[in-house]
Amino acid sequence: MNRTYQVCTRCVMDTTDPEIVFDENGVCNHCTGWFITQAKLANRKKFGKKNLEKIINKIKKRGRGKKYDVVLGISGGVDSCYTAYVLKKLGLRTLLVHLDNGWNSDNAIINIKNIASRLNFDYQSFVLDWEEFRDIQLAFLKASVVEIETPTDIAIQGALHRVAAKNGVKYIISGGNLATEGILPKMWHYDAKDTVYFDYITRTFGAKKVRKFPHFDFTLEIYYKFIKGIKIIYPLNYVDYDKSNAITILKEELGWKDYGSKHHESRFTKFVQSYLLLKKFDLDYRKATYSSQICAGKITREEALIALKAPAYNEEEIQKEKDYIAKKLSISREELENIISLPGKYYFEYPNDENRLNFIYKIYRKYFS
Amino acid sequence: MFRPRVIPVLLLNHDHLVKSISFRDYQYIGDPLNAVRIFNELEADELTFLDISATRNNRLISLDLIREIGEESNMPFNVGGGIRQIAQIKDVIRAGAEKVIIGSYAASNPDFITKASNEFGSSTITVCMDVKKNFFGKEQVWTINGTKPSGIDPLEFARLMEKNGAGEIIVQSISRDGKMNGYDLSLIKRIATNINIPTVALGGAGNLEDLKTTYVETHVTGLAAGSIFVYYDRNKGVLINYPEKKDFNFNDTE
Repeated sequence: MNRTYQVCTRCVMDTTDPEIVFDENGVCNHCTGWFITQAKLANRKKFGKKNLEKIINKIKKRGRGKKYDVVLGISGGVDSCYTAYVLKKLGLRTLLVHLDNGWNSDNAIINIKNIASRLNFDYQSFVLDWEEFRDIQLAFLKASVVEIETPTDIAIQGALHRVAAKNGVKYIISGGNLATEGILPKMWHYDAKDTVYFDYITRTFGAKKVRKFPHFDFTLEIYYKFIKGIKIIYPLNYVDYDKSNAITILKEELGWKDYGSKHHESRFTKFVQSYLLLKKFDLDYRKATYSSQICAGKITREEALIALKAPAYNEEEIQKEKDYIAKKLSISREELENIISLPGKYYFEYPNDENRLNFIYKIYRKYFS
Repeated sequence: MFRPRVIPVLLLNHDHLVKSISFRDYQYIGDPLNAVRIFNELEADELTFLDISATRNNRLISLDLIREIGEESNMPFNVGGGIRQIAQIKDVIRAGAEKVIIGSYAASNPDFITKASNEFGSSTITVCMDVKKNFFGKEQVWTINGTKPSGIDPLEFARLMEKNGAGEIIVQSISRDGKMNGYDLSLIKRIATNINIPTVALGGAGNLEDLKTTYVETHVTGLAAGSIFVYYDRNKGVLINYPEKKDFNFNDTE
């Protein structure tokens, strides 16, 4: 993949994404895609309020006689906390569910506690078995792939569906939204539901048989959707979601605290996104974040380019953090350094189920959605 | 302003955290190291780790784990679990613990406390007694994680431990453990007012009000608890937490 370096003329995505494509004006597929999505979103928003109302009424109707209308996954970050706030305004009886993968930061848990107590929502946790999960995370680290956070992503889905089914709740609410998630190249994040890929990595690089992990693959997705009748709703896509506005509301009304940057409610995520991926793949997560912000008109391209010149991490901090991460994963500091220095691999270099999944989802989208 | 120490008690089963109800129904609640990091940030006064299966399995609480906790913790911490030799106390202290907690072995070998406090000083030696009523309603000290009645009266035991040089006594109610409906005030009061060494209350705290009531009524020097620091709310969702300093207004008795 030896391309000459090129950076998009509109956003700051560049050839560090091996699949990036530029048009004749040097504009990349990512920001172009972003504007197409936003156009769709704007179209949806026109009817947003009304549609959301309809959905909410349906949810309330189905929740009658039950303790909760919906289950909301909460990480402590802006999106999920603000979604909780929206659900309160909508009058939905919400069960907050947090996946504890062993890497919570104090900020995340303080936020969760404040949100739960001030909104008076019930709270439940799903605690992963750390010994097993550590082995899974280590396996992904040793496989040297980009998708180090895939096990957590799967576990969140798995945990939410299990809790919803157990409580007879038919709706899972997600803080996911098109407005802020924006740009994220596929090469930076392959489909989490590929069990062939997951099993190959955990079997090859892991030391333990995976037993307790809350799997969530295509079959389970079908099971929960069609047998259990559980739907996922993304309310932030129906309202005018502005992140900085949301932060102000959360701080003023719910005692919410800032993490500094996106997805750093977990120490591990911070390590992976601001350091490991940069070392291994020359992949600077900030480029995706800034590019989304440029498209949204929040910052200019020039500001982003200047911001990118600053180091993505603090050298002194990262050394300390490495000590902790090695200890937490029960490996030596040396072993961690070895893992960091392994050459990066992309998902297609390992056995995977991409073709079959693409085919299934194509049919699925055609006939069921 | 003086206030009692407020101490989260974290139960270990080997190397993972659990929480019990009445010394039974253990629920897995996660990994100790992350909990330590969070308690650091929340500025807890101190932490206590008790390995609940050590004595029963005839082993010592993991020294490696104590070392790792010691490297992470900004707070003093105390550990107990299977301690029955002077050399073990030395190892545990060397691994980073501030105090050792001796439970079952103190009940079966009270002289061990004398030896230990002569060797390390009484401030290093804490005795934990687990108290439950027997079939006839008589309170007594139980050992081996609440499975064996010793027949010893709690106050008698506390006085003996004081005499033998214990620096501190944790009074734990087995039946109230994990119930979150308040400490056993009469038991704690009976012990705390009749001995001169610091007493720590444990078992049953469900909210900050319980801590305050217990402090006001019994004047213990330490308030220890498990559930309120690891759970949030009635569903018992796992969420490590610790009150902010401003919430500790124990002396305000209006």
